[in-house]
Amino acid sequence: MAAITLYDYELDEHCYRVRLLLTMLGLEWAPHAIDMVPGEEEKQPPMLALNPLGRLPVMRDGDLVLHGTEALLAYLARAYDGANTWLPKDAADFGRVMMWLNFSTLDLQPASQARVQALFGTTGVDAPLKEASRNAFRIMDDHMTKRGYEHGEWFVGDHVTLADLALFPSFALSRDFGIDHDEFPALRRWIRRFRNLENFTTMPGIPDYH
Amino acid sequence: MTAPTVWIPVALSSEIEAGASAGAVVDGKEVVVWRDTSGKAHAWEDRCPHRGMRMSFGFVRGDHIACLYHGWQYDTAGQCQYIPAHPDLDVPQTIKVPTYATKEANGVIWSTLSEEVPDEAIPGETDQVTALRSLYIDCPAALIREALETASLPGFSASEEETDFAALADTVWTLTTGEDQLYIGVQPVNPSQTALHVVIAGPEATYAGAGQAHFSTWLETLRRSLEDGAPEKAASAPMTTAEVA
Repeated sequence: MAAITLYDYELDEHCYRVRLLLTMLGLEWAPHAIDMVPGEEEKQPPMLALNPLGRLPVMRDGDLVLHGTEALLAYLARAYDGANTWLPKDAADFGRVMMWLNFSTLDLQPASQARVQALFGTTGVDAPLKEASRNAFRIMDDHMTKRGYEHGEWFVGDHVTLADLALFPSFALSRDFGIDHDEFPALRRWIRRFRNLENFTTMPGIPDYH
Repeated sequence: MTAPTVWIPVALSSEIEAGASAGAVVDGKEVVVWRDTSGKAHAWEDRCPHRGMRMSFGFVRGDHIACLYHGWQYDTAGQCQYIPAHPDLDVPQTIKVPTYATKEANGVIWSTLSEEVPDEAIPGETDQVTALRSLYIDCPAALIREALETASLPGFSASEEETDFAALADTVWTLTTGEDQLYIGVQPVNPSQTALHVVIAGPEATYAGAGQAHFSTWLETLRRSLEDGAPEKAASAPMTTAEVA
């Protein structure tokens, strides 16, 4: 049995963030599939014992049980990325990465909600959620446009970090909820770079080019 | 609508890398802009003849672009050459994506959205350009023009100069402050949205880095003020409906 277990729902973008990092770090891990839709298994007693909030992702590493995407990503980086690539040691870059991690949780929340509405709802996507998602993508595109002027290819520093990994799924999946990539040229180039990283892995909605 | 054949900007050259594709909308018409691995840019109707999927969702392999849906591959003439589900099939000549006249000049990719090539050249040929950015604004082109006609663009090389606006064509504007000039390709997306493809008409040695950041920040401010002042705020959502497989 693998040391690390991810309580996982394949279509959930937050679980995908953790799967991405587990895979890109080359760790041995196993998914424990949770029937989130329609079963709401994450809100049933066995899962509530692991995370009383009733949300995924939840991860077990030996005796340690953690929940919350940011915590899982930060833990994995600290525990298994000895080179400090994903979570930089430099204080300023660490701060910048944390800023974008926070952005991915707070400011991309509308994008996450919009996608859930589009995939599982019956009444379509609320316009304010779409508008808020687009505003967040614009902020990201403006940032990457300026990074381009200083030959920066990633959100922070001179290599990929958790900032890129946490931001990637929302934009890559935006067509799921009706936001096209046309007007975000800097983000288009950035996701191409991200897709080309070693051990990159896809999820439903992020095509694997045959 | 742009009735006679004119060159319309659809992307900055630097935004479409070799082997990449992107969607663009001109007056409501969907266009795929892509660059083959030899570096040549193409603009086509953004529609796979098979099931109508947007080709811009697809991917480029060498000098072919493939539809994401079923992998049908088209050569640079728009001719379907390969259908994965029928690998031995000699694909009929009738399976073809409409291709448009496409040209690159001044750091911008232009298309006519037809096979026709206009009599007039792309105005304002410049020797040296520095890529700046594309700016998507929820505002009709006419209102953006009105704002730019009286705009004051802070110079990078020197300040304290007047700004001159000029329209070289409906789709090409310039803003000049002293030595500095922004060259702006105007792409009308729909009645309430416009894309500006902006380059600096000057050498990278002068403008790369700080100069680019200077003008990019000004453009962000311009976008904010235009959208805050736009008569019909982005209620008519500029997003397209997701294509569902």
